[in-house]
Amino acid sequence: MILAGDKNVAFELEIPAKAKYISLARLFVGSIARRMNFSEESVDDLKIAVSEMCTNAVVHAGNGTADKPPINIRFVVGEESLTVEVRDQGPGFDPRCVLENQPSGLLEKGFGIPLIRSLVDVFDCQSSPGGGTKVTITKFLPGREGR
Amino acid sequence: MADKEVREGSELDIALEEVGDHSIIVLSGEVDVYSAPKLRDTIRNLVEEGRYRIVVDLEEVAFLDSTGLGVLVGGLKRVKHHQGELGIICNQERILRIFRITGLTKVFTIYPSREALLANIKGA
Repeated sequence: MILAGDKNVAFELEIPAKAKYISLARLFVGSIARRMNFSEESVDDLKIAVSEMCTNAVVHAGNGTADKPPINIRFVVGEESLTVEVRDQGPGFDPRCVLENQPSGLLEKGFGIPLIRSLVDVFDCQSSPGGGTKVTITKFLPGREGR
Repeated sequence: MADKEVREGSELDIALEEVGDHSIIVLSGEVDVYSAPKLRDTIRNLVEEGRYRIVVDLEEVAFLDSTGLGVLVGGLKRVKHHQGELGIICNQERILRIFRITGLTKVFTIYPSREALLANIKGA
């Protein structure tokens, strides 16, 4: 595997802030994760997490409704983990609203963040009104958590 | 690995079948924020035509995210408004896991196969 055992190798992907390009981010993270020897279940976890992160970024950036700045996705291959950072230059928000709110009742929205948090080992969201948003996740290779 | 990667990134195809008073929406490909509106429109159109017993076949779905889940929940609410039902056909662990994590296995009737659905319809 080309990436197995590599550490601190980084890749960057920039996509226009449009929904149709999110599948490319999924393909990218899936390819990297497989080459790091993640299990297929973990590859699926990472694809869902990255898709949710990019969806949020695209929605915050206006989903191509105007000349919105692109979404930047950075993949950092560690010896024992893969970290993915998604940055948008949307209007930003108070991250406490997202991190503390749990969906209740039969809602059509609000599944994204709880889903990401349950599928990855580390989740962080930094945002401020007017300052854009950066969401970072890390998933460890099996048996490497918390070393 | 190569075959798997070729299958990924495919667009969403939707086919419709009628079995008795049930409409089966057969999906293949990926359901995300880009493709989910197509599924939403299909469900809306069925409900507008008075079809309130809908089953969505996810057996050939390679990817489903929270937007897809939201569309299914929206469809369920829509048919329930008419005392209808919206079920799922799925035996793929990768997809079922998403329903379990979000607690939606308690909300949808999930059939493990087309045969299980047909047996249920026959037995009703």
